[in-house]
Amino acid sequence: MNGGMITAQSSTSIGQTSFLFYITLIISISAIVLLIIFYYISTQKTILKEKAESMGYESPNEMVRDKLAGKPRLLSWNVFLYDDSKSIALRYLLASMVFFFIAGSFGLGMRLSLTNPNPHLLTPDEYNVLLSEHAILMIYMFALGAAFFLGYYLLPSHLKLKRDVMGGYASVAFWIWLFGGIFILVSRTATRWYYYPPLALELAEYGGGVFNWLAVIGLEMVFVGVVINCIIIIKLIASERSKDIKLSEMSLFTWAMLFTVVMTISSAPTLMVGLGMLFYDFFNPIFFTAASHQVLLFTIMFWFWGHPIVYIAIIPAFGLIYEIIPKFTGKPIYSYNSGIIGLGLLLILSELVWGHHLMNSGLGVAWDIFFGTTSFLVVIPSAITVFNWIASLWSADRIRLTTPMLFVINGIIDFIIGGTMGVILSAAPANDFLHGTYFVTGHFHFIFLGLTVGITFAGIYMLFPTLTGGRKYDVRLARWHFYLTALGSAVMAGAWGIGGFMGMPRATAGYFARFQPYQDVSIAGGIIIAIAQLIFLYNLAKSYTKQPSISMDNVLENNPTSPEIPVTTPAPTPPDINITGGAK
Amino acid sequence: MNKKQIELAWIIAVLVILLSWGAINIVWIGDVHNSIATENNHVSANNSSNVQLIKVQGTQWSWTFTNSSGVSTTDAFNVTVNKTVELVVTSVPGEYIAVIHDLLIPQMGIQIYAVPGQNNTIEFTPTHTGVFFFECVEYCGELHYEMRGYMTVVK
Repeated sequence: MNGGMITAQSSTSIGQTSFLFYITLIISISAIVLLIIFYYISTQKTILKEKAESMGYESPNEMVRDKLAGKPRLLSWNVFLYDDSKSIALRYLLASMVFFFIAGSFGLGMRLSLTNPNPHLLTPDEYNVLLSEHAILMIYMFALGAAFFLGYYLLPSHLKLKRDVMGGYASVAFWIWLFGGIFILVSRTATRWYYYPPLALELAEYGGGVFNWLAVIGLEMVFVGVVINCIIIIKLIASERSKDIKLSEMSLFTWAMLFTVVMTISSAPTLMVGLGMLFYDFFNPIFFTAASHQVLLFTIMFWFWGHPIVYIAIIPAFGLIYEIIPKFTGKPIYSYNSGIIGLGLLLILSELVWGHHLMNSGLGVAWDIFFGTTSFLVVIPSAITVFNWIASLWSADRIRLTTPMLFVINGIIDFIIGGTMGVILSAAPANDFLHGTYFVTGHFHFIFLGLTVGITFAGIYMLFPTLTGGRKYDVRLARWHFYLTALGSAVMAGAWGIGGFMGMPRATAGYFARFQPYQDVSIAGGIIIAIAQLIFLYNLAKSYTKQPSISMDNVLENNPTSPEIPVTTPAPTPPDINITGGAK
Repeated sequence: MNKKQIELAWIIAVLVILLSWGAINIVWIGDVHNSIATENNHVSANNSSNVQLIKVQGTQWSWTFTNSSGVSTTDAFNVTVNKTVELVVTSVPGEYIAVIHDLLIPQMGIQIYAVPGQNNTIEFTPTHTGVFFFECVEYCGELHYEMRGYMTVVK
């Protein structure tokens, strides 16, 4: 907090002038930009209001609710004016994609800096900032943002929503969440996403970052936004779904979202309190300092939330896999009930495994035995889920390998590999030499790249014609996007897994020269992933220039899996096939 | 075998693997870890002359090793082969404040956090002579990656 001020004051008078000049310049430019945005939004709102009044509605929100409810919605800037669920969903899509590319470029920057055993492209300070920002933004802004996008977009259709009245709250929550993310981004925090206290309290370049206090505020804001959203989603599912849909007939994606938000609400408050105590420590260090002998208290509060968050990031993807598979096999999912049991057990057990992140920290034998055992148990629901997917694929007469389906199959394979690595980690003897190495990084990048990222892309490809108002994406480019993402993530995470097994420490700006081969391979993988995402962007730009040519109706929205609604055979035409068919 | 038997065999095989792994886990943990660490409980469990007691202090950003005769070394230490080594690990303020570190010696299969205000103990017995690397694996600030060095096992 003080570092910046001291530097500014101690510089020469010329330096001071230019410092003030730049500050003034930045403030003026941002004021002008904000004014333009405000002018645009207020004009649009006036137009919308007049339109609503001419159609006999009291407020624009009511008009949007009546005219657009339950219908497919395309992506446009107007979603920032509307407050219904689908518009909120598209806001989350836009924001999470922007943060995905920002955080992804941070990841690429770290990879490129590691081409040499000693930091050569970035200084250690810069590397640590990228390290922290990559993790925080990917988890809180991309993964949670994508989960809310899918939830808000698909749930109104899956639940045949009768009322959509929580939009105002959802809008407020979105802005709180977004500004929290921006605060984290500009704070240049260097605490890693753990925020472990004595380091997080060190407000300096060499410690937690000069403006780390802003990152703490930002994360608290993210939490407020996320928890409001979760309550809204529970209300959507519990009290606003159509009477036609019984609890036992809800789509598996709805169940997945329900379990996700319940898990969030039950684990987030601990870290919200922890962050509050951490913020107090900036002014009056009493809670988490060496003198208190309670340094590990924050780590416990953190991981009580920190482990559920990784499930929160993947369970919506689990739900979406259940929705996508029947669309391309033409048969219902193998077992609807075991799908719910698998996800529900995951909800319960995943809240009991967080202590395995602190196995070597001196918390005692009982700790290691308890959390090692629960970590084994969490295999059971994961295996139920995976076997359900495999059985669905196995019993299908024919699987159509469209781009979304390829992402799903790759996601299942990646989850099996990454999950197995996780089981290895949960054994205390193995944990002793694998914890804190790249093995862990490989473990969760397999799962995150395969499931969170891959299934989000699968969902985007499925919804593509809807979101773009009936445009097609280039299937060949989409295939390249898939193959390169899958190859790159396997190469990168695989190299990390092997290197980590040899003892390569993670989160380091430099490394022993003996680890050069593993780093080089993972850098190649990282570059391949980056190229794949550029292909995705090119594909978007290419389809933007084309005219809309197919229907906006969407099987993912209008044909949810549930025991009562069998999927018709032959399967409804998915967007992918339409696109190849109508290429002329 | 029919489908039911295959299913049953599958379930039993997985359960056997998981349970035996769990049993190994519990036995192994009982051997290595002793108790919840506090400021003072760093008295060696087996107080025989065969134990080499080494005090380890992590600071931003180096490791200091002090052996029983009071000799301190930085980012390097020597131990004798086939004699149990007991590390008492903590974190102390150096140039800056004390933060959490984590000492990993992968080839010895041990890892132990260095937590300010806590003395964590861990034991291992090197069975081969040679030079083994160790490193800090809990992110601890700017030069975290330089908190590494070599342990030499001598005859």
